[in-house]
Amino acid sequence: MPLLVDPFDKLTEDLKSTFRPQREWVDKRGLLLVTAHFLSGAGAGTWLFAWLLGLNWGLAIGWVLVAGGAVAHLLFLGKPLRFWRIVRMPQTSWISRGLLSISLFLLTALLYLLPGYFPGLPWNGDSGLGQALLVISLIATAGIFVYKGFVYAVAKAIPFWNTPLLPPLYIAYGLRGGLAVLFVASAIQGRAMDLESAKALELWMVLSTAILLLFYMGVMAGAGVTTAESIRHLVRGPASLPFYLGAVAVGLIIPVAFGIVSYFSPLTPGAMSAVALASLVGDFYIKYCVARAGIYLPVTVRFPARAH
Amino acid sequence: MRYGMVIDLKRCIGCYGCQISCKMENATPPGILYARVSKEEIGEFPNVRRASIPMLCMHCASPPCQEVCPSGATSQRPDGIVEIDDKKCVGCRYCMMACPYGARYYHAKVRSYFPGQGLTPYEEWGYRNHPTGVVEKCDFCQDRLAAGQEPACAASCPSHARFFGDLEDPFSEVAMLVRDRGGYQLHSQLGTDPSVYYLPS
Amino acid sequence: METAVRFYGYFRDIVNEGRAQFNLPVGANLADLIQALTERYGDRVRERLLRGDGSLQSGVRIAVGGKVVDSLDHKIEDGGREVDVFVMHEVAGGAEVEIKEDVWIDTTCALCYSCCAIRVHRVNGVVIKIEGNPDCPSTNGRICPKGLSGIMMLYDPNRINTPLKRTNPEKGRGIDPKWVPISWDEALDIVTEKLRKVRQEDPRKLLAIGSVTNLSLYRQLLSFAMAFGTPNSWNSGAGTHCGAGEHIMAAMVHHAWAWNPDADHCKYFLNFGTPAGFGAHYANVAMTQRMADARVKGMKHVVIDPWMGMAAEKADEWVPIRPGTDTALVLGMINLLINEYGLYDAESLKHHTNAPYLIGPDGCYVRDEKGTVQVWDAGEGRAKAYDDPSVQDFALEGSYTLGDTACQPAFMLHKEKVKTYTPERVSSKTTVPPQTITRLAREFGEAACIGSTITLEGKTLPYRPVVVGYFKGSQGHRHAALAAMAAELLREVVGASAVPGATLGTHARSLGNPETGIPHWGPKVGPDGLMVLDTFAWPVASYNPYPPRPARKPETVTLIECVPLPGSTSFPPLVMADPEKYGLDYKIEVVLNACSNFPMTTADPDLVSRAFKDLYIINYGLFPDESSELADLLLPDACYLERLDTDTDWMCSGPPTGAWAYHLRQPVVQPLHQRRQFESVTLELAERLDMRQDLYMVLNMMHHLEGEYALDPERQYTWEEVVDRRYKAWYGAKYGVDWFRENSILTWPKKVEEVYWRPFMPVRVPIYFEFFPRVGQEVEKIKQETGIPFDTGDFQPLPDWKPCRSHESTNPDFDLFAIYFRAPFHAFTYTGNNPMLDEISKMDPYNFRININTQTAAGKGIRDGDWVMVESEATGKSVRGQAKLAQGLHPEVIAVAGSGGHWAKGLPVATQEGKGVNFEWLLPLTFEDTDTVSFNQDLCVKVKIYKEASQP
Ligand SMILES: Nc1nc2c(c(=O)[nH]1)N[C@H]1C(S)=C(S)[C@@H](COP(=O)(O)OP(=O)(O)OC[C@H]3O[C@@H](n4cnc5c(=O)[nH]c(N)nc54)[C@H](O)[C@@H]3O)O[C@H]1N2
Ligand SMILES: Nc1nc2c(c(=O)[nH]1)N[C@H]1C(S)=C(S)[C@@H](COP(=O)(O)OP(=O)(O)OC[C@H]3O[C@@H](n4cnc5c(=O)[nH]c(N)nc54)[C@H](O)[C@@H]3O)O[C@H]1N2
Ligand code: SF4
Ligand code: SF4
Ligand code: SF4
Ligand code: SF4
Ligand code: SF4
Ligand SMILES: [Mo]
Repeated sequence: MPLLVDPFDKLTEDLKSTFRPQREWVDKRGLLLVTAHFLSGAGAGTWLFAWLLGLNWGLAIGWVLVAGGAVAHLLFLGKPLRFWRIVRMPQTSWISRGLLSISLFLLTALLYLLPGYFPGLPWNGDSGLGQALLVISLIATAGIFVYKGFVYAVAKAIPFWNTPLLPPLYIAYGLRGGLAVLFVASAIQGRAMDLESAKALELWMVLSTAILLLFYMGVMAGAGVTTAESIRHLVRGPASLPFYLGAVAVGLIIPVAFGIVSYFSPLTPGAMSAVALASLVGDFYIKYCVARAGIYLPVTVRFPARAH
Repeated sequence: MRYGMVIDLKRCIGCYGCQISCKMENATPPGILYARVSKEEIGEFPNVRRASIPMLCMHCASPPCQEVCPSGATSQRPDGIVEIDDKKCVGCRYCMMACPYGARYYHAKVRSYFPGQGLTPYEEWGYRNHPTGVVEKCDFCQDRLAAGQEPACAASCPSHARFFGDLEDPFSEVAMLVRDRGGYQLHSQLGTDPSVYYLPS
Repeated sequence: METAVRFYGYFRDIVNEGRAQFNLPVGANLADLIQALTERYGDRVRERLLRGDGSLQSGVRIAVGGKVVDSLDHKIEDGGREVDVFVMHEVAGGAEVEIKEDVWIDTTCALCYSCCAIRVHRVNGVVIKIEGNPDCPSTNGRICPKGLSGIMMLYDPNRINTPLKRTNPEKGRGIDPKWVPISWDEALDIVTEKLRKVRQEDPRKLLAIGSVTNLSLYRQLLSFAMAFGTPNSWNSGAGTHCGAGEHIMAAMVHHAWAWNPDADHCKYFLNFGTPAGFGAHYANVAMTQRMADARVKGMKHVVIDPWMGMAAEKADEWVPIRPGTDTALVLGMINLLINEYGLYDAESLKHHTNAPYLIGPDGCYVRDEKGTVQVWDAGEGRAKAYDDPSVQDFALEGSYTLGDTACQPAFMLHKEKVKTYTPERVSSKTTVPPQTITRLAREFGEAACIGSTITLEGKTLPYRPVVVGYFKGSQGHRHAALAAMAAELLREVVGASAVPGATLGTHARSLGNPETGIPHWGPKVGPDGLMVLDTFAWPVASYNPYPPRPARKPETVTLIECVPLPGSTSFPPLVMADPEKYGLDYKIEVVLNACSNFPMTTADPDLVSRAFKDLYIINYGLFPDESSELADLLLPDACYLERLDTDTDWMCSGPPTGAWAYHLRQPVVQPLHQRRQFESVTLELAERLDMRQDLYMVLNMMHHLEGEYALDPERQYTWEEVVDRRYKAWYGAKYGVDWFRENSILTWPKKVEEVYWRPFMPVRVPIYFEFFPRVGQEVEKIKQETGIPFDTGDFQPLPDWKPCRSHESTNPDFDLFAIYFRAPFHAFTYTGNNPMLDEISKMDPYNFRININTQTAAGKGIRDGDWVMVESEATGKSVRGQAKLAQGLHPEVIAVAGSGGHWAKGLPVATQEGKGVNFEWLLPLTFEDTDTVSFNQDLCVKVKIYKEASQP
């Protein structure tokens, strides 16, 4: 018998399974959204730490990353040309809020940065206007950190996301990512010294996000049949490869191992940026895995009313 | 006025008629099923039960899909119908993450039911109403309602398992069925307050 | 001059190609190009491109030589004869389509033989919606998933659209016949020549194959065959699978082709595996809603079925049973009812059956000197004629002596015989626990309300609100006729037949439209007071199991003349493989198949292919399906949405209660492409073959065309004229085709005398099949003379449970029974290529899978979704599919849906790995697996199932 290509995607197969995975936000073009969330989070973190550590070169990197995130976000839309509509409902929608934050950030941060490249402009970073722009950009950064977690956390249909633990996790990953970007960039630019003081912070963040992640997963494993299925998806199911390889091995074990080593002997800048790079990769994979493990509440009689 | 549907699981035989009825009424593309039937098996041999649960948009009184929609494309009419304006939808699919009933479908691209063999004249006709890049779902057949007809899935159901009417009118058939036969909503714990009720089998 | 045109966006989807070449004249402009596009791709493309006023639609961009132009006058040369046509998906042109036509046409569905009244929406020539016809009192405007999706069959690009001729002489499964299109003229010339030759030589060399799906077509096929002069016609898998045993009993007991429950009054439905009212069986949509009403009103529904199918899912109780053992359970219940609980309807047995007839030691009726059957009048204490009005009390029990003859009432023999069916013994056969058997028997007997009455329309009638359901599931076995007999006895014992609340023969009796008095039919009293069948009541004329016609030696490849009772047969492939062996002095040379996919619906597809390989096969069908693979010539028929039909009212297409409803099947679009309706073409063939007179004579008989409506061989009629006459002959002069076109449905209420005819009619039905042994002797004689291995052991007057071959299998490797079931969203094999139904099939947990009990699977290391092989002990053939673990399945059984497993390349949607399996590969086509009494096939086989070594 000839084996013809099944004309339909996994949808019909999904619909008959009790635990239906979400696919739109992770498969195929959905990867753009994961990328968008990753880039904007890491970019906002970069901006924040660059400011904190006084690394002006880092600010621009932060801006570029957030801008990349915004572009990925728009490309993800089914109707990219209607992008302007996406900020219409900030009263209720976290995506509106998030993209308002991103837009605000991109605008203020750009204006803040511009005098550095075009000195002739009527304001500069230290002027009143410049400082105001900076403050607004930092507030917007906070918005960027916070919104992503909430975007997921308010999704009533997906219990694995629908938890107050997710925003802190995403904030933590964003911060850690930002710092990691700076480490990697500094290594490339040969300016490792700029970050000497932040080494401990980075290592500490690697550890604390690891603990937060384990805590989140632990809670979810016991939070109901659907979340348990999400965990199964990651631990023994179809998402286990990216989970173990990307999120756990590269994103956690390598950095944590380095962290433990550093306890005994200080890490070289090269090693430090390797840790940072690993944690960045891990950062991406965590976002990917959380999206992959998004499983809908079953609409079944087996789990009437109190499904989760 | 609040439009609502009652699905009597005692009557429903799980034939998937509603799924096709909706499909033919709306000429929905492959894989897009405003109405669908989900099947379950419970228990162990020989004490087994099977159940068919017809699904559609629940037209929630507090629709989480609307709450998350960033563009305002999803809105609720005064009669309770939750609708999508496909001219406003940006295709972000956030609503799909929020809907606990799997009622929403993203229309990625035009596809033929006969892959590689072009569109049938019927599909062609239907695609007028299915722009790509946006999310679609059941609209309680508002065109039929406007014409004084029942929704297609309710009108065709061979078992007469679907009833349609005004939930707020205490003497409507739907309100009475909910009252007399112990109608319940799916996932009522989520606070969505669906306008689709089920009667126990 | 050659012009290259590229298509983008929606336009590409429409025309299904990315680029095309056009030869446009010098100086051609855009308007000319659009004209050329329209000619090639049809009017629809013009609608996408141009508004009503001739300007370009918004959302359309046409670039000539890379420059977007918007004037239709733009010359193509200016752009170097390169054109890009782009239509945006959003607009798809349609929003601005001008509505030139918007009509609803009433007609009749034919995707199964329920024949639901439908209305079809056509806009600008395109069929866009099918709905149930709300004016029809049978369906109340409701409709099933198959019926809704018929548009996809009308427009299926895989349909046969022109006559096609085979060019590859090599024939067989999976071998491309290399079809080439030919004209109708050429095709008809070929057909005429082939048919003329065999008709001159020996008309019996033509075999006509059809099926019951479309009765109009089938009647025409049979008529053509009869007129042609061949006795060889075959309705393939239909009939040998359906319920051949049941149909014999239905004819003798219910004066009907089939039964349905009295959903209006039934309180207890003891259902041996029938989806009657649950998505299949007869009068599907009409019964589904009525049975739902009954459930809501509190009817208890017990389903006995190895598989938790459509009916069992809705049951109050599911009783899993080992396949092929229902008869034991039925007889066990009868035993308890009669011998333990005394719960039987003596009054009904005395007056409406042959239970009181006295039976002598030879098993035959005891007759007086005039030959009249005797009964014992317990009132007067003496024997009397069964029809003596002075009988006070028909004795059902006791032993009597008349002259020298010791005799007993038939009931007494029955009562004694069932005693061996003790709950324990039955349990060991069926796996149903003894307590369940006793409980069900008592529940059923008590629910029958024996002795109670109900008054309907002022008439007081027995009230027996219990229905016994059985059809192909429980009787589809080696001893089908005895199984059917037993089930009928269970109905008769409690008097639950053709009375309120009980099992009703569908359309057993019609007293006619009050306005015209026609159509009129009903039970008649026959020999020995037993009922005989009115020809009008049967789907196709000329069937009558009682009194039986004599058995004859083989004359046809169907062997149907050898046994007086069966109405259909599965023997042709066997006989055709070796006709001499069966004493036939001719061979089939030409086959005309219309409306059967016999290689997929008859047991043992390989045997079927072999038997048909060397014949000239004309396939008049819809699809290049599995039967077409064997064909030499394909002729494109019109499908039901393109047809004008005579019979849209199967004798059992409506519900038994309620109102009569008659309607028309008429084209909602004229046959597309070069499709032509079979019936008109056969009329034309009759002219070409000089057989008009023969055909008209047969048509007059088949359609009951009499008097002014009889076809006159002096003139030639169109098919529409034939249909018109048929309608007028049946319903009255006023009710021709035009009346139905305008008014759609002819309806009037059913009378209680029609629906619940038993108490009103002086006929008796058999509970003791006295004539069976005599028929058996005749068949035995034929067996001796011809050596055909008929098994005449089942021609017995009272039923017994006997094992199937699968029960006697001793090979421990083949440890499971295989059975199949219907899905509510497929009809046979013919909906397999409908992509919307296919979409359901994929979503349904069971439809495309090989279902196996979860625990059984665990014991074999099979997990859900594993690819498994199922091998049949009887055929040695295997089928491959994905396992589905289910709790709702007897642990000794695997079950598959009946509609999957296509292999024809011409059906690209259906023919894909993993889309179900074709059960026929597992079934042997042999005499040993066929019930000689009814020619029903045994539909259970022993199989082994194992996981494939490598899983994809
Ligand atoms: N939707 C739909 N409706 C149809 C048709 C169709 O193709 N599709 N076909 C029409 C035709 S031609 C026919 S003949 C009828 C057939 O109608 P049914 O006779 O109702 O046929 P099935 O559904 O195939 O089989 C009925 C049940 O028998 C069970 N069964 C199998 N073996 C046994 C057994 O030994 N004992 C018992 N108790 N049960 C058993 C099966 O599990 C299945 O659930 O349906 C008609 N209606
Ligand atoms: N595997 C398997 N075998 C079975 C069954 C099963 O469920 N599974 N069921 C058994 C039973 S009960 C039955 S009744 C038989 C049924 O067996 P068949 O009668 O052979 O039924 P189908 O396979 O549907 O084949 C019907 C054919 O008629 C064609 N057709 C439909 N409408 C028209 C029309 O208007 N004109 C023409 N010319 N052709 C038309 C369809 O395309 C299809 O090829 O099969 C029996 N065998
Ligand atoms: S059409 Fe009616 S009976 Fe069939 S699945 Fe839908 S609700 Fe149930
Ligand atoms: S069912 Fe889903 S789509 Fe429909 S209103 Fe409720 S949340 Fe929205
Ligand atoms: S996909 Fe459309 S309807 Fe859904 S949330 Fe986004 S904009 Fe709203
Ligand atoms: S109400 Fe209309 S749109 Fe909604 S599921 Fe039913 S048929 Fe489809
Ligand atoms: S039950 Fe049969 S006749 Fe009626 S709509 Fe369905 S397929 Fe057509
Ligand atoms: Mo059948």
